[in-house]
Amino acid sequence: MSLISLNNLSKTYPLGSQKIAAVQGLTLEIQAGEFAVLAGPSGSGKTTVLNIVGALDTPTEGSVNVDGNDYSEMNPKELADFRLRRIGFIFQSYNLIPVLTAAENAEFTLMLQGMSTLKRRKIISGIFGELGIEGLEDRRPNDLSGGQQQRVAIARAIAPQPAVVLADEPTANLDSSTAEDLLQLMRRLNQEKGTTFLFSSHDPLVIAHAERVISLRDGRLESDIQQEAG
Amino acid sequence: METLTLAWRNVWRNRRRTLITIVAMSFSLMLVQAFHNLSFGVYAQMVDSGVRSGSGHIAIYRGDYVNSRDDRLFWNLKKMGVLEQRIAQLNGIKAVLPRLYLPGLAQSSRESRGIMLTGIDPVAENAINPLLKNINAPALIKTLDGRDALVGSRLLTELKLKIGNKFVVTTQGPEGQLVSELLRIRGVVKSGIREVDNSLVMVGRQRAAAMTGQPEAIHELAIILDNPDLEKKLIPLISELLPAGSDLKAVSWEQSMANLANAIKLDYASQKFIFLIIVLIVTIGVVNTLLMSVMERIREFGVILAIGATPGRLRATVMTEAFLLGSVSMLFGNILGALATWYLVEIGIDLRDFIPETMEFGGVVFNPVMRAAWDTAYMLQISLYVLLLSVVASLYPAAKAARIAPAVAMRHH
Ligand SMILES: Nc1ncnc2c1ncn2[C@@H]1O[C@H](COP(=O)(O)OP(=O)(O)O)[C@@H](O)[C@H]1O
Ligand SMILES: [Mg+2]
Repeated sequence: MSLISLNNLSKTYPLGSQKIAAVQGLTLEIQAGEFAVLAGPSGSGKTTVLNIVGALDTPTEGSVNVDGNDYSEMNPKELADFRLRRIGFIFQSYNLIPVLTAAENAEFTLMLQGMSTLKRRKIISGIFGELGIEGLEDRRPNDLSGGQQQRVAIARAIAPQPAVVLADEPTANLDSSTAEDLLQLMRRLNQEKGTTFLFSSHDPLVIAHAERVISLRDGRLESDIQQEAG
Repeated sequence: METLTLAWRNVWRNRRRTLITIVAMSFSLMLVQAFHNLSFGVYAQMVDSGVRSGSGHIAIYRGDYVNSRDDRLFWNLKKMGVLEQRIAQLNGIKAVLPRLYLPGLAQSSRESRGIMLTGIDPVAENAINPLLKNINAPALIKTLDGRDALVGSRLLTELKLKIGNKFVVTTQGPEGQLVSELLRIRGVVKSGIREVDNSLVMVGRQRAAAMTGQPEAIHELAIILDNPDLEKKLIPLISELLPAGSDLKAVSWEQSMANLANAIKLDYASQKFIFLIIVLIVTIGVVNTLLMSVMERIREFGVILAIGATPGRLRATVMTEAFLLGSVSMLFGNILGALATWYLVEIGIDLRDFIPETMEFGGVVFNPVMRAAWDTAYMLQISLYVLLLSVVASLYPAAKAARIAPAVAMRHH
């Protein structure tokens, strides 16, 4: 069975008396270990799809199954717990908690799981080493560069060893060489640890690094191409 | 990095706003504490002077004398055995003052005025009664049955008399006949209380009682306590000492001096109303601060929910922030409140330039140098109230935080 399967997914938003169809009839399967990107211009429905896959939003029609769980059968508490343990999130920017240090931010999901301080410190220091941000543990987000902040966000996302990491335009606020480094880092995590990544982006650089490009236009699947990752 | 640490750091994110809120809360707490303690001190002082010149913390009356003031309701002190001594032996009793009150008429050779002939025990009374405080020893009454009298200052001028002059007091005797006594003015009572200065004639109680035909007759046994708080405890103990079937009752000062008790109640009620307004304004300020801090963090809260926190956790975070804000304010408020109270206890507020030296309040003289007294139980109570209030003030902002939908919040910029 696929890690993620979307079946005839639709999402409409009410806008005044009209309805905006953000996603229309999307059917998609993503396997464990994939490194895929949802591509498409702004407004094509990428964020909406990621939010639905991440159990942050509910579809108007169709079904979602992630890691063997049908979201329509889960209550909000179960969904929150599922997000905490099985989904990693990386957002465009400013997604760290400004009053926490880099290490505390990275530990946050483990803390929410109730893990002891000692244990999570150990896990985080290992991840910081892998991500090349060792030594920055005690810095506040404001004292980190954009690339460093995104690495801390990646650390937070992968710390609970989720089934999939969802990254909504993770490079949008980074210069291209920083974006390139970050993509290589995520690709390495994907290859070495088998972590599944699903991005959204309209950045050609991101698209070039993906193994699979799922193109959306006006909320519909336009193309779904496997490619040699660059 | 548990909830408390996170909340503490969040509280200090907007340093200026937090400081303003804490200053407002601490300042209000200080105002309420200091003004309460000031009133507490002033009331205590008035009650003290009221009970000493009036009917004691606890008074013993026969029948319904407390309400009717029917002067036929006198009773024989000696027939009650050693009641006076047995009461005096209880713990916490400062003085026991027997008194007789006879309304009557005072006549000089030129004028006559209505008076209240008050018979006292000079030995007990001289040491306690504030009306006698400013009178030099030679001008005081010495014996229970002498003809020496103290008269109110206004009465003295109206009767056109001087110290050493004689005058006649007439009251109704036991069978309705008129009884007269010749008295000599020994000293003058100048109290500032109109009723006292206009109509007081004070003599030894046996001299006054002779006019009733019973030399041991009294109307009131006024009991002064070491500490007014003992009143509740001592009333039943004193009641037990009263002979069965005697028709005597022990009555608290709140009943026997209802005027004073009501004046204090009314004064404190208006103050409470002001306290309420202060507290209300502060609460609105706290709600505003917390609400602003939640609204500024909508996106951040969205992220926290997205990565797996429950809404309950956000609610707890906001409430903990309010609790910390309240705790810090409580701490500083108490320090300021204690300093202000200390000043008001030691130095006080001197109103002598603004109000007459002798102003009446509820039938007693208002001391124009107002001094606070420590009411620590109240200070603690109001502090906890402020703490509780800040947590209550956080309920709405916390609910608002808990209702955030992450997908919507993260589109928020
Ligand atoms: N909460 C919302 N209310 C109304 N319309 C929305 C809402 N969220 C998204 N949309 C609309 O849905 C469409 C898809 O948006 P989105 O998923 O954000 O696309 P993308 O991430 O590709 O830019 C857009 O037309 C957008 O305006
Ligand atoms: Mg988007």
